[in-house]
Amino acid sequence: MFELVADALPLAVVASTPLLLAVEGELVVQRSGIINLGIEGMMLVSAMTAVLAAQLTKSVAIGFLGGVGGALLVAALFGAFAIAMRADQIVTGTAINLLALGVTSFVYQELQQGAIFVQSVPRMHGDFVLPLAWVVFPIALALVLWNTSFGLRLRACGENPTAVPHVARYRWSALAIEAFLAGLGGAYLSLGLSSGFAENMTAGRGFIALSIVIFGRWKLKGALLGTAIFGLAAALQYALQAASYGLPFHLLLAIPYVVTLLILCGVAGRVRAPESLGVR
Amino acid sequence: MKRLLIAAAAACVALLLLALSALAFGHDPRELLAILVRGSVGSPFAIAGTLLKSVPLLLTGLSVAIAFRAGVWNIGGEGQFIAGALAGLLGARYGVIVSLLAAMLAGAAWASLATAMRLWRNAPEVLTTILLNFIAIHLLGWCVNGPLQERAAQYPQTDAAAATLPALGSVHFGVVLALAASIGSWWLLYRTAEGLRLRATGLNPSAARWAGIRVSAQLARAMAVSGAAAGLAGGIELLGVTHRLFERFAAGYGYAGIAVALLAQLHPLAVVASALFFGALTTGAGELQRTAGISSGVATLGQAVVILVLIGVDYVRTRR
Repeated sequence: MFELVADALPLAVVASTPLLLAVEGELVVQRSGIINLGIEGMMLVSAMTAVLAAQLTKSVAIGFLGGVGGALLVAALFGAFAIAMRADQIVTGTAINLLALGVTSFVYQELQQGAIFVQSVPRMHGDFVLPLAWVVFPIALALVLWNTSFGLRLRACGENPTAVPHVARYRWSALAIEAFLAGLGGAYLSLGLSSGFAENMTAGRGFIALSIVIFGRWKLKGALLGTAIFGLAAALQYALQAASYGLPFHLLLAIPYVVTLLILCGVAGRVRAPESLGVR
Repeated sequence: MKRLLIAAAAACVALLLLALSALAFGHDPRELLAILVRGSVGSPFAIAGTLLKSVPLLLTGLSVAIAFRAGVWNIGGEGQFIAGALAGLLGARYGVIVSLLAAMLAGAAWASLATAMRLWRNAPEVLTTILLNFIAIHLLGWCVNGPLQERAAQYPQTDAAAATLPALGSVHFGVVLALAASIGSWWLLYRTAEGLRLRATGLNPSAARWAGIRVSAQLARAMAVSGAAAGLAGGIELLGVTHRLFERFAAGYGYAGIAVALLAQLHPLAVVASALFFGALTTGAGELQRTAGISSGVATLGQAVVILVLIGVDYVRTRR
């Protein structure tokens, strides 16, 4: 049993990388006082735009750029409603997710004849995203959030927005950072982990990311720990599938979501969210 | 009257945007709109299809309207719909009434899991309800491939339920039940003390607490009623339309309920009209898929656009 998990461990680290990127992005945006439920749709769209860009140019690097571009577009739409119009963030996020689901399935069917989604995508040579996600970004984000005046003001927007001039500017910046990270994550999902786009391929990773941000108490150390715990549970799931102990496949598929619920409920004691999180 | 105009405008803008996106991909938007209209209201058959699609949308719309009125973020309609259908299937051997009651109870229980996690562990229901959707989907997948698979064991689906809703012309009795649920919800929200407390809690929880309302208990009851409505939707869909369960049984009705409720401005009676609009859109989108090869995902797209347009209109109105 233990060996099974150990064998699946490297795969687990790779497989939870898009999730980690999403967690880091959502952490930044929530620190600025915004809950972006639309991160699920953001990743889904970037998974698709990454494949489109990679196929059109036959370049993985441009594919990743395309992923980030797609995420930025979704972020612009979310920000226009949630920041500029001060709309309810949960309603806006839900609408963004429906929009992403509808648009990607529409475009997917429209372009099916063009074979763009049928041919396999260009392969990645060397995994540059993995060290970025697990080492470079956490350190960089921690430095920016806790050691610069920009970071201080960004966090102040989440605690007491009336104390900060130009709140919208900081929230837009946070949203752009999130889009960059979630875009990389979405692109990694379709170009790195799988060899193309599939409808609704994010399968709730964005919502799992939101839960891990809460579990990690809006800190990067907690985010890494939460993603690691989740990754281990996922590894266990792969190991159980491979070992086929006769456990039903469909119940194993539910494990990540059950684990996420347990992670959410495992937040011992009172969690202190950013004071003005979700306040319009 | 003004709110009616806003809703109608939002619906029109959504259709316009859909036509434009079709144009962008080289389709003739007039032709597509014609198919959309023909496929949803163009014939008695199409109208029956629209009515059938509207029933689950009406009930999940009521579910969301009740929850949002109370200020509870129940995004878990999809999971509660499935829980209701599973219980409905098991209860069907004791007749239609038992089956639908079981569906409502199961929907309420599945929703109450989120309440329990909220009250005991402070886990936000907006996330727990969504996660419970995924768990319900995989639970259903397990059931139709395992313990509840049809005796012939050929397809991943259950045997037909032991009971069936009485037919009503080319639709089923669920139409009446859904309308009754709509009137009942209106009665609950606007004509009872419970409804007053529920709305007060949603408008301002701390003021409600000062007024002597037990807010946690109120939220728990609102969540249970909301879940029961979604569960009933699942039960009616099973007994009236599909008769069997299969993996993609829920088909997004739970999430669509959010758009239905918001277009109706969270009013239980307006939900009827809103559900008919989205029912027509879904039925028409199915026709688009069949005759023009366009993804039926455009119905989802329409739901999203309606919500965003409503937000935009609201913004312009309040700014003046």
